[in-house]
Amino acid sequence: MDGLSHETARSPRPLLVVDGVSKHFGALAAVDNLSFEVMPGEVLGIGGPNGAGKTTLFDVITGLDRASSGRVLFAGHDITRAGPERICHAGIARTFQLNAGFDTLSVRENIEVAAIYGHVAPVFPGFRIRPVIRRRVDAALELSGLAGRAATPAGELAVLERKLLMVATAIVTQPRLLMLDEPVGGLTQAEMDAFVAMLARIRGEGMAIILIEHVMRFLVSLADRVLIMHHGERIYEGRPDDLANDRRVVDVYLGDGAADLIRAALDPGVVP
Amino acid sequence: MTAPGKDLVIGVVLVAIAATVPFLFPVRYVITQMTLLFIYAIVVTQWNLVLGVAGIFSLAQMALFACGAYATAMLGLYLDWSLWAAMPAGAMIAVVVGLLIGLACLRLKGPYVALLTLAIAQVAYLVIITDTDCFIRTETRCEPFTGGASGLRRFGDLGLREWLGRDWIIGNYFVGLGLLVAAMAFSVAVARGPLGLAFRALRDNLGYARSRGISQFKYQLVVFALSAFFTGLAGAFYAAHFKSVGPTIFSFSLLLLLLAMIVVGGLGTIWGPIVGATLVMFADEGLREVQDFRTLGLGLTLALFVLLLPDGLTGTASRLLARWRGSGS
Repeated sequence: MDGLSHETARSPRPLLVVDGVSKHFGALAAVDNLSFEVMPGEVLGIGGPNGAGKTTLFDVITGLDRASSGRVLFAGHDITRAGPERICHAGIARTFQLNAGFDTLSVRENIEVAAIYGHVAPVFPGFRIRPVIRRRVDAALELSGLAGRAATPAGELAVLERKLLMVATAIVTQPRLLMLDEPVGGLTQAEMDAFVAMLARIRGEGMAIILIEHVMRFLVSLADRVLIMHHGERIYEGRPDDLANDRRVVDVYLGDGAADLIRAALDPGVVP
Repeated sequence: MTAPGKDLVIGVVLVAIAATVPFLFPVRYVITQMTLLFIYAIVVTQWNLVLGVAGIFSLAQMALFACGAYATAMLGLYLDWSLWAAMPAGAMIAVVVGLLIGLACLRLKGPYVALLTLAIAQVAYLVIITDTDCFIRTETRCEPFTGGASGLRRFGDLGLREWLGRDWIIGNYFVGLGLLVAAMAFSVAVARGPLGLAFRALRDNLGYARSRGISQFKYQLVVFALSAFFTGLAGAFYAAHFKSVGPTIFSFSLLLLLLAMIVVGGLGTIWGPIVGATLVMFADEGLREVQDFRTLGLGLTLALFVLLLPDGLTGTASRLLARWRGSGS
């Protein structure tokens, strides 16, 4: 483990490179010539007002939408034109803002199908679920705290459980990069804390994470680095603690009240 | 009891009942209608994989059935193949056609799949009934390649008459039952296994399924090909059993009859298609006396189930059972 971190320290090769990516819908540039990198094991937080192009950026990276121009590299490979299946197999798993789920499948089946098809594409999946897959599904059920709901159809889950299930189906594909689209939007404070605890466990496994979130307290407490988007462009990229002091971010996105709250949340006495 | 255990018990009981029918009711008409029921049941169990499990609104199933039937008849008639060899060949031809239809439907959604597949079946039907060019000339008449509007016959049979004498029809009955058991076991294995999970995931949420590594391209083709095999085989057996094939198997009322079987039994359920096939077949038999009302009754039944019991009989029953158990515990 030590040797590995030395290796990455000596030659810091980024895991994800977004290079001059634009996405146009007619005359509207949802993402406008955006470039950034994510290092292995790093947590990048993305914020910005509604319509800033955050989810479109996720769609472009994960192959659900095509970039109008620019390149996306993952672990040195060009994935700009790859479909979502290939990108999943390459090691990127994402969640969706709209709490996607396979509603008629049980919680366990939701995770099983991701475990069978998400890590590598099986040539023929066979007629039985292999024991190694079952063990990975059990582990994901345990990690997400959904073990007690394994037999429930996903369509009957409450909001928090749906969000946890989406993360469970993502991590069971064994990604190197996890992309979370508003993972805690609409959750209560206690639910948010449960989510933070789970993400801390996931981080412990060395996964890089990109997360989009409007709940700034959540974003700045988890992220190593923060990127703020506005009209498809980057208006801030840097350490979370400087965010509330950036005049432009405060003006177009946070407002003065929220900036004070973030300063309070990042108080060295409260958060190390 | 586990789900596979339950399936096995239900299967064994149904087969045991079916196996006694020709001895309890040794009437030629009953045996023929039961054999026809087996043939239709094979088709609906496989159609259910596409329509119910994968949620792809394909109406191509009777065209695939016709592929198997016509291929078997032609191989027997023109190449003098034994029908025992022609039947699996016919099934494989249906698989190839199924793959092509699946490919054509890849980019289409919902009702457009229904329109395209129906159009394909109609084109095949029109090609056959307008085919009047002489292909072989006998002393009395000339036969077109596809048999034209009057169909194909005299291409042989399963040859059970030499072996069983007058009981050949019971022999065919058990061949049909054997094929149904194989088709049912196959559809259960597919629907309950990893493939079924992929089909249902793509049906429930396409974008999410693709983001979890499930290729729509691959598994849509797989479900079309898999469901085509036993459908084609059922068509092949239909040709072998009735010793004739005609363009009537493309008829809309037959398509409606089979669709009603799936909807009445329960779209996407494991045992629904078999239950539906049996009930609709018996109801259809009951309406035989009042010919004019058969299609009307069929249409009304279909409409009522779609409106009132969209999960069909087995789907509704298992939901009620689950609720009853839920309130009990």
